Formats: sequence, C-alpha cells, structure tokens
Amino acid sequence: MSIEPRALPTAAMAPEAPESIATLDLFALGRRAAAARDERLGPRGSFVRARQLLANGSWRGPRDAAESYLDDADLAAIGGLSAAAAAGVDLLVAGAFSADVQAAAEAGIRVLLRLPYRVGESDGERTSRLTVVGGIGWNVWGVMPAPAGEPYGLDTLRFYALCRLALPKVPHLLADVGALGPRLAQMVFGFGADELYAPIVAERALRLGANAHNPALTRKEAATLIRGAGLVACERFADGTLEEVS
Amino acid sequence: MSSFVQIRDKVRAGEELSFDDGVALYAHPNLMELGALANEVRERLHGDRTYFNRNLHINATNVCEASCRFCSFARLKEGDPAAYTMSHEEAWGRLRARVAAEDPITEIHIVNGLHPGLGFDYYTELLAGLKRIQPGIHLKAFTAVEIFYFAKKFGMSIEAVLQALRAAGLDSLPGGGAEIFAGRVRKKICDDKCTGDEWLQVHRVAHQAGLRSNCTMLYGHIETAEERVDHMLQLRALQAETGGFQTFIPLAFHPDGNALMKLPGPTGVEDLRTYAVARLLLHNIPHLKAYWIMLGIKTAQTALWFGADDLDGTVQEERIYHMAGAATPQVMHPTEIVRLIQNAGRTPVERDTLYNVVAEGPALVSDKPFRRQVRRSLEVVS
Repeated sequence: MSIEPRALPTAAMAPEAPESIATLDLFALGRRAAAARDERLGPRGSFVRARQLLANGSWRGPRDAAESYLDDADLAAIGGLSAAAAAGVDLLVAGAFSADVQAAAEAGIRVLLRLPYRVGESDGERTSRLTVVGGIGWNVWGVMPAPAGEPYGLDTLRFYALCRLALPKVPHLLADVGALGPRLAQMVFGFGADELYAPIVAERALRLGANAHNPALTRKEAATLIRGAGLVACERFADGTLEEVS
Repeated sequence: MSSFVQIRDKVRAGEELSFDDGVALYAHPNLMELGALANEVRERLHGDRTYFNRNLHINATNVCEASCRFCSFARLKEGDPAAYTMSHEEAWGRLRARVAAEDPITEIHIVNGLHPGLGFDYYTELLAGLKRIQPGIHLKAFTAVEIFYFAKKFGMSIEAVLQALRAAGLDSLPGGGAEIFAGRVRKKICDDKCTGDEWLQVHRVAHQAGLRSNCTMLYGHIETAEERVDHMLQLRALQAETGGFQTFIPLAFHPDGNALMKLPGPTGVEDLRTYAVARLLLHNIPHLKAYWIMLGIKTAQTALWFGADDLDGTVQEERIYHMAGAATPQVMHPTEIVRLIQNAGRTPVERDTLYNVVAEGPALVSDKPFRRQVRRSLEVVS
C-alpha cells in the first residue's frame, strides 16, 4: 500500500517551550513526542535502502538504492557540492552547520543533521542547543541524535523526545542503529523517531565476536523492529513515497 | 479481555491480577501507559531506591549432560573444544584475587553445567574452600536444575542435598534454570533437564528449609505471551505459599552460538514490556532485577523506569551469556553502576544478597583503584 507523505509544516507550527518540556517525566515526554510524530507523519516508521558516496568517489550500498547520501566530511574530497549533485547525491549527512551545508539545502539537496549529546547534560542545555537548530533559516530534512561516547538509555530517550518537541519544523527524526544498537533504536520510536538509519541488506548478519555490533538489518528485521514499536512499518522510495511492508 | 483501565484500577486498589489481565497487558499497544503503571508499583514498593551489589560469578564447569537448545555455554563432555572444569584451586583463586585487590565483594554467584563426572564432594569442597578464604562471603550457588540433578545422580533427597550444601557453606539459591515452565516449550528447548514442577519443588523445599532464592524466566525465543504469564503466575503462587523468593529476573534470550540462532531474540520494546508486565503481575515478589549482562547497559537502565529496582552487581567474569553473544563488558565498576542509577534519576543503594543495606548516600564512595586491579587480576587468572 502506497502512502502519501504529509505536507511540510507551516511556520505556524511552534516548538514547545523548553522549560515546559524539561519538567516532563519520562512517560509524559514519550507520549507527547510520539503524539507529535503521529500528528505530523502518522503512526508509522520507515526505513530506506540507501547507498553512500565515499571520499574516493566509489559507492557503498546497493546500485538500485532509493537514496544516495554523502557525509559532509567527504564533500571536499569528491569535489564539492556540484560534483556531489552531479554524482546523484540527494542527501547530505552533516555533523555541523557550515556554508556548504546551507548551500546544499538551498540547492535542494536534503540535509540530515547529526545532533551530538553527552551523558549528564541537563534537558535545559539540550533544549537551548535545539532552539538554535530550530532557528536556522534553511530547511533541515531530518535530525539524528549522535551520542558522544557510550549513551545511557534514558538520556537517549529523553533527547529524542526533546528533538521531536523542540523542532517541529524538522520533519524527520532518525534512529541510528549503529550508534544506539537495535534495542535502543527501537525504543526511540516511542519517543518521536520516525525512521531507521541503518544499512538494509539482503541476508541477516551473524552478530558474533568482532561483528557483534553490525548495524545492518534485512528488510524483514527493519520492519519487525518498527512493528514491534507499535508502528506501521514502511519502506521509503526515491520519490519520497512510503509503502507499507506486508 | 480486561481493559487497561480495569487493570489499572485493580493495580491501584492493590488487587491481584488474573491470567487474562496479564495477557491483556502483553497485548496493550501503549508501552508508555504500561510503563507508567509499572513504575507506580515500583515507586510504591521502593520509591527511587535502586539496588546493586558487589559480586563475583564463578562458572566452575561448562561440561553439561543437558543439551538445552538455547544454551551456548555448555559442552557435552570433557575434551570437547572449549570445555573446561576448574580445579578447586582455580575457582578459589578467583576469590583470592578479589581479596588481594581489596575488593569488598559480598556475594559469589555460582552456576555450572551438569557435569556427569564430578562427585558431590567437588561441590561441597568448592563451597567450603571459598568460606575458608572469606568466611563472611555469601554463597548464592547452584540452580534448582543443579540441585535436582545432584539429588538424582547421588541418590539423595532434595532436602539432603540442600542440607549437605548448607553445611558446606551454601547461603541461598540463584534463580536460573526456570526457562519457561510450559511443557510444550520445555519439550522443544530443554527436554532433558528437570520439569517446571520439579524446578518449583526444589525452591519450595529450599524455602521451607529457610533458604531464600531468586526466580527467573527466559523470554524471547519460542514461547507465547500466554506461556510467559502462566510462568509468572506459577512463581506468584509458590511465593504466596512460601514467601521465599526475593527477586524475579526476566532473562532475555541471546540467539548467537546456539541451536536457536535463527530466532531473532527479543527486541528492546519487548524487554521493557516484559519488565512492566512482571512488575504488575508479581506483586508479592519484592524485587525485579534488570540483569545488565543480558539486557545491555542501556536497556537495563531504561528498565529502572519500567518496573525494575535492581541492576544486579559488578558481576566479574560472567561466561554463560557472553558465550551466547552478549556484547556487554564482563565487569562493571561500582562507580559506574552508581552513575548509571543516578543518571536515571534514581537513588543507588548497595545491598548484600539478602537486601540488607551495605551503603547508601555519601557512603557510596568511589574506589578508583578497583577497576585497574580487577583488570590486572582477571588477566592473571584467565
């Protein structure tokens, strides 16, 4: 079943006041963030088969990927924004604001912004940073919390909810399976996340020894994980449409 | 089927939940509501207090007659690749290393394979030797499966086995080996060890003899929600009879390196749901432990808001779940446990095995040299 993505938010969508968010307990925060996600995108979670353009100009990932992305650290090596666009890159994964990132957004390349967080930060510190992100003048397609060091579970859940509530103009909140592990990546769907960020592969990885933290998921694993979080599992395609995974 | 509101009202009125209520909780789509209700019960029982202890695990042998399909630890006989059996000196050396490191552990947790070639005196002498090294140490040793095996193998009653082990130094029983009581599941995953009724009988006898014990449930493999609920209700019924269980420990199945490796294992949401349901169903078992070795540190910390009030302990040298692919460290420093609990907005309390308070508040001081000493001593003994 094909699902039409909802319209982009209007400027009337205001973020929740940081002080009111920071006082919520874990469950209230989760409920509010999940409700905000459902209101915006419907009660569904998605994944996408993506490929990455590497600094040496080669691709990692399937040829027929629905999404082609580039890490902003590799932008200079591949020859800048125009070279990336010419190669077919349609998503820039950025670690920080920069003129290049802004230029990419203005040129119509979607921007996924990594948002670092640390154990022990207060909700107040985090919401202050999110206010800055929410105030930038160009479109950010999505944000992806990026733990600095090993994240604690509750820190992560709260930060996800804060992101969803404090950034109403940013449509997508991604769960990085590599950084969080599959268990926590699933839990953050209860706290506002709407898409998995993980390599989608054909065969299930055996997670043993040095491969214990392999983030790759099969379509079935990704869909099961999303469904287990209580959402409709969808695959996102190149044109942005979502299709429910049966 | 019971509605969530009806169940919530029963919980708030302190009423016992039924089988149908338990099944309905497993099916309830809103994890946040379920978690919040479990958290109410947790806070009613323990407030913000969250327990941990300083312990050492000794798995003296992995040679095991049983061929449980979920197990990655056991080897069928001596001489098989990776099979091992510690000499008494090796096992005692684990404790001596801790004593030399001035590590104030209060408990040794001992769980082993069902070794067909060891005499009963191996086990009694193992305990007696540990007590000689540190007389005050609490020995939480041998699952009900092991006790039942000893009784059968050595032609003794369960009472006699427990009496002899107590005389050698046994202080309480761990909760392992329960798996899932349902015969359908046991037949498929562990048909050559004691039945669910036999497991319960060992704990009944232990409780009647004045021993405390823990109880577990291995979830996330082939069992249904109904079978989980049935399992928990059987534990609750025994607890109503004897009052001897201290802690319920849901154990997340790890699929790697065993005969069930094609199964995906439980997800994070399933973990939290199981903790919440357990807290709501098992009103008469005081503690619910998030065993960080199996859950992972992140999920274990999160479980502290979904019903759990205990994180187990420093552990040190756990082998059973690491052979099943657990990616957690083998030791967690007490300072790290304290930080983990505080970061969850809870109050850490160091306990002994019987939940007597060892330290809390400002007495929970950092002992920085400990981690380095543990690492060094682990290198020496391994």
